[in-house]
Amino acid sequence: MGSSISKTLGRLFGSTEMKILMLGLDNAGKTTILYKLKLNKIKTSTPTVGFNVETVSYKNVKFNMWDVGGQERLRPLWRHYFPATTALIFVIDSSDQERLNEAKEELYSIISEKEMEKVVLLVWANKQDLKGAMKPQDVSSFLELDKNLKNQLWCVIGSNALTGQGLVEGLSWISNNTAKQ
Amino acid sequence: MSSGIYLSDQPARRAQAPSNPLIRKIQRACRMSLPEPDLALNLDVADYINDKQGAAPRDAAITIVKLINNRDTHTAIFALSLLDVLVKNCGYPFHLQISRKEFLNELVKRFPEHPPMRYSKVHRLILTAIEEWYQTICKHSSYKDDLGYIRDMRRLLKYKGYAFPKIHEENLAVMRETETLKTQSEIQKEQEIAQAAKLEELIRRGKPDDLREANKLMKVMAGFKEDNAKQARKKIVTELNKLKRKADLLNEMLSSSNNPDIQNETVEELYGALKGAQPKFQKIIEEEHEDDSLVQDLLKFNDTVNQTLEKYNLLKIGNSSAASQIHPDAMSNAPTSNGGALAHEINLLDFDDDVPAAPATTSSPTPGITHANNNGPMDDLLGDLNDLAITSPAPSQNFGLGGSISLGGMGQPTTSVSTGDNTMDLLGGISATPSSTTQTNNSFDLLGTFSNSGESKSESERVLVNKSNALKIEFELTRESDSTIKLKSFISNLTMDSITNLTFAIAIPKSMTLRLEPQSKDSLGSLEVDGITQEAWVDNALASATKPLKVKWKVQYNVNGNDTQETAVFALPKV
Repeated sequence: MGSSISKTLGRLFGSTEMKILMLGLDNAGKTTILYKLKLNKIKTSTPTVGFNVETVSYKNVKFNMWDVGGQERLRPLWRHYFPATTALIFVIDSSDQERLNEAKEELYSIISEKEMEKVVLLVWANKQDLKGAMKPQDVSSFLELDKNLKNQLWCVIGSNALTGQGLVEGLSWISNNTAKQ
Repeated sequence: MSSGIYLSDQPARRAQAPSNPLIRKIQRACRMSLPEPDLALNLDVADYINDKQGAAPRDAAITIVKLINNRDTHTAIFALSLLDVLVKNCGYPFHLQISRKEFLNELVKRFPEHPPMRYSKVHRLILTAIEEWYQTICKHSSYKDDLGYIRDMRRLLKYKGYAFPKIHEENLAVMRETETLKTQSEIQKEQEIAQAAKLEELIRRGKPDDLREANKLMKVMAGFKEDNAKQARKKIVTELNKLKRKADLLNEMLSSSNNPDIQNETVEELYGALKGAQPKFQKIIEEEHEDDSLVQDLLKFNDTVNQTLEKYNLLKIGNSSAASQIHPDAMSNAPTSNGGALAHEINLLDFDDDVPAAPATTSSPTPGITHANNNGPMDDLLGDLNDLAITSPAPSQNFGLGGSISLGGMGQPTTSVSTGDNTMDLLGGISATPSSTTQTNNSFDLLGTFSNSGESKSESERVLVNKSNALKIEFELTRESDSTIKLKSFISNLTMDSITNLTFAIAIPKSMTLRLEPQSKDSLGSLEVDGITQEAWVDNALASATKPLKVKWKVQYNVNGNDTQETAVFALPKV
């Protein structure tokens, strides 16, 4: 109860915090996005073994962004990061069409977990700058979220981590769609 | 359920049921209307937590501690009994939760700053619980380092003047980690559950240190799966070896006379251990089918166990003649090539298969070459019994004798008998009391003649440890591997009188482990040279260590009716 009061106050005076979990296959660009948002710099990063966590403030909302490595052997550990998540960001490498299906399977296995049934879902169709990258609409229709997600808010946004295109839009979508809850 | 008005056994007015089934279950187990703590309901909660994992252990701990602080004593007592059940049944994930600072602070929230004249029942139960955790999981759990706050809380309470009740040993025994044979996948699963619980807890806390540790742990969980597998494998071999010794011991006890005492606690314990492990053989074989040597070994062992168990059953129904027809092979001295822990033991006992397991009857007094193999089961058995002693840390090695510094004399009773005694009698004595089991060791000394393995011939120099008016003590040191030193002690009598009741004990630094054979006998005739010998192995004594290894020794004896004691520290020369 105490926490809900402080949340309400926080909303009024503008210091909401939320936990955002950023997942996706390896080499989708999660860590690059995280540090672009945090430092506005491109940090060339090696594959994440483990996770990174940073706080990103946007419009009086503090996003605690958890970026967990996407390599295959790390994926079974994703579920340990689920508790208390407000929003899930799933990052997809739009240019890697061969692994799109794998990404789709991973996404569905995450959102079918009970702990994740209340989160809002943002999909970043990343690497829009690359040639042969699928358009966000195509990614969206491929994922068939409209068909399969009945009770969850979701959104697919095209992004380019190098220029920052689409990133702010994504965060603002999240903050708009979680404030109502 | 049908609609309409009816009386149910639930109270007519009740608070809205919480949506979380776990909390509902906990409230049901602690509701006031129960006459007494309901074990079935408590276990139901435990099962639910074990099944769900994730946030369940934490939610349960938080809910229960709230109920413990409930103003109604009844509810608090129920909550404490539920807590007890969960600590005993939910393993590490729950232990991690009760060792959180927040939980412990909450738990003692209703304790006044100064201890009251008389503790309330709830106070007493909480103190008991903390003391129990302190005596068990804080000392014996493989993850005891994570449970530091329990120790801190106990210290704090003690500092404030609270007195902790004495815990009965049988209550402590329940919480000991059971050492049973498990399949590789079971061991790994346990590891994974513990690691997952820890990872989630670290993520939840979210402090920089925690996150750093979480990152490290995640790498372990993801990257070093094979490492885990190797560890699991090693554990199987260790447990299997223990079982083999148990099988041999049981067999020996059953063969010791025509009418062995099968009601004996030790026999029953051994029987239980073997019987309980048997179903696992099948599973291990299924999982490890690609490892031929292990499977062969296991199949052979299974036969032995079957025979031994059959023998026990025959004896139980009184058919001793049929029972005496069964001669299971002695297992623990069958050479196997499984590497790891096993190989290490094998090299100590280069024993031929055809040496009879029963002691030879010739009485050639060659003391000193006590065979590690025959001694094994005793060690192990005694180790199991010694587990009951509260203070010894968890046995980490295959030898149950735990503490890294352990005065040898403490761990093993050293009642010894002159070697000329009838061996059969000695074996009869084995089933009487555990403390007399070492007597058989002495009778096995006779086997020394058969078992002359290479190491006893090794030509190492003797060093003089101490020379007093009455005794001369010498060590013979041999390095057996990079980390193991063999240490043989020789004790000579320098007086004209005979020396009796001699016990020799040594202790080594904590970082090492000592495996000690019983001494060859406990008396010396006048001027007897090297009359008493004793072998010991020091594990983890690295060859690369720069400092000399220091050994503390103590000898107690009786000469001319005077009890005498000598003790000193001796720095071993480098070997």
